[in-house]
Amino acid sequence: MDGALSTYLPTLARYIAVAIGVCAVMYGTYRLQRWFGIRHEAAAGRALVMPWVIGFLIFNVFTIGSSLYLSFTEYNLFRAPEWVGLENYADLFSLDLAPLESADQRSSEALAPRHKEIIRLEIGDGGFVFGALEEEFWRSMRLTLLYAVLSVPLGLIGALAVAMLLNQNVRGLGFWRVLYYAPAVLPAVATALLWRWIFSGSGLLNTALAPLYNLLGVGRPSWFIDPSLALPAFIIISLWGVFGANSVILLAGLKGIPQELYEAASIDGAGDWSKFRYVTIPMLSPALFYNLVVSTIAALQIFEVAAFIQTSDEVGTFLNWLIYREAFDFRNMGMASAMAWIMLLIILALTALIFRSSDAWVFYQGARDEETKPA
Amino acid sequence: MSEHTVAPSQDIIIAQEGPSQRAYWMRQMIIYGLLLVGAAMVLIPFLWMISTSLKSQDQLFVTYVNFVPDPIQWTNYLQVWENLASIKPQMTFWRIMTNTLFITTLAMFGEIISASIVAYGFSRFRWWGRDTLFAVMLATVMIPHIVTRVPAFLIWKELGLLDTYDPLTWPSLFAWGPLYVFLMRQFFLSVPREVEEAAIMDGASVAQVYWYIMLPLIKPILLAIAVLSFQGNWNNFQSPLIYLSTTEKFPLALAMRFFDQSLSKEAPQWHLMMAMTTMMAAPVLAIYFLAQRQFIEGINIGAVKG
Repeated sequence: MDGALSTYLPTLARYIAVAIGVCAVMYGTYRLQRWFGIRHEAAAGRALVMPWVIGFLIFNVFTIGSSLYLSFTEYNLFRAPEWVGLENYADLFSLDLAPLESADQRSSEALAPRHKEIIRLEIGDGGFVFGALEEEFWRSMRLTLLYAVLSVPLGLIGALAVAMLLNQNVRGLGFWRVLYYAPAVLPAVATALLWRWIFSGSGLLNTALAPLYNLLGVGRPSWFIDPSLALPAFIIISLWGVFGANSVILLAGLKGIPQELYEAASIDGAGDWSKFRYVTIPMLSPALFYNLVVSTIAALQIFEVAAFIQTSDEVGTFLNWLIYREAFDFRNMGMASAMAWIMLLIILALTALIFRSSDAWVFYQGARDEETKPA
Repeated sequence: MSEHTVAPSQDIIIAQEGPSQRAYWMRQMIIYGLLLVGAAMVLIPFLWMISTSLKSQDQLFVTYVNFVPDPIQWTNYLQVWENLASIKPQMTFWRIMTNTLFITTLAMFGEIISASIVAYGFSRFRWWGRDTLFAVMLATVMIPHIVTRVPAFLIWKELGLLDTYDPLTWPSLFAWGPLYVFLMRQFFLSVPREVEEAAIMDGASVAQVYWYIMLPLIKPILLAIAVLSFQGNWNNFQSPLIYLSTTEKFPLALAMRFFDQSLSKEAPQWHLMMAMTTMMAAPVLAIYFLAQRQFIEGINIGAVKG
């Protein structure tokens, strides 16, 4: 245990020192503001948020800035970063679309030098091949985006269905809710390993489906190797984890819808579908919106599943894991930063898109009340 | 007594009412039927995990689905650690558990304290720039961690603190979880102003009001956040993976990966891996079942009130 203590104690000492330091900074900020004649309340408020401000400046502003700088360099940790301008980005976006002269022509012959195939489309005796210099990146991009675009809406629809089911005055609501949420609590590492075992060659799923395979006369599929099965398998894993988490939030939203609205709708002769479409959905839209944003950001950053489940080259891996490997296994810090920045921009663009569209479909009761209030 | 005799006869009358009653029962059947199907889908992987963890190796690869291990092999839970120790003598169960708890506790404690202080500053004081700064804080949720990983790694490298627990613990003192700040702010906002005004009149300092008045008032959400934070740090995988390289310093998540990549690489020892997975999942699941009310409250406050 001696060795253990020598790793814990220094960290503990620095932890306490930093805690004291943060307190000192807070006090200093307060004193400084008072010295400039700022009133007590404002000075105290600003002093109290200092812990976050320091962290934000170091771990967000500085790191994101450095990351942008590094994305224009070549850097392997051993020699100083070397400025290469837009080269990393140019490599990443070096794509090529070439026609195939015959069906048996190899993709590498048709494509520009060093480019590798991503998609090959054969039409009759010919066709097209789409390739890129960094074909791994584009395969990951394809897998990650498809995964997010499919798993998030499916997860939301499923969660809404479960939430509406639980909202039918069922007995033992607490029990069902706890049960359905449980997969979301499980460590992602555990989820990844568990599902790898379930999907493995002689795992639960293949064993259970064996009679079906025999009937169809097909062999046992390798779920994560087969390009057409990997995505559905990953989506099944995500649905298992996210169903409950989202439905618990949506259920709370459903419980918050005033009963009068449904009664009023009934009096106006609304059927079940109309009530769902014109009362439930609008009243639930803020919760749906929240889930949509949070799930999309999370789905694009999926990491553990990729770290524990090996896929074939054709399938590609998830972007987050690809970037991690580029940076920490291959030590291409510059290229990894460029990839990470592209990922950041994609997340920002998607989130902006969801926010933009929210004006059209998210209904805020409070906001509406204020509009109709007489001036 | 007479009530007892009345009740059954009423039941009969209701049962005789016909189609509407039948429709009601049909509806109930469908609802509970669907709920049970959903519950099965949730539970089967869990049961499979536990069942595998109790099987012997020769029960793993059979041609039929079997959830009941026969014989039950409890020793799997010890065998994992014996196997790990056989290649890395320092990787004992106690060492790995202490590592995990050490990281989790320090990070959780830092998160709760700093988030509550920052949330207090964002909610109970009026100052110029507050709402803008708060919006900036919420926007940081969108930043993918991987963007900051490379430069953060370089910072820790410069500080000479790679392969220590520092990157995983004390940065939590800088309120690294904007979501927790947001949740606590919602709670602080609901506390009536008079409560703290009375104390200020009596000459209490900001620190005193925070510690003696505000913190006790937001106890429910503190507990909820403690549970969420414990779960988050216990489950954390990406940052330990980047910062820790000595096997005996590994938390559970990394030890699992290590086992997977060394001992289980050629021929997957799923019974042992599932034993380890169960061990990693058990504490979080236990805390979740014990504190499920706080837990669910915690997730809901952010989404519904926000």
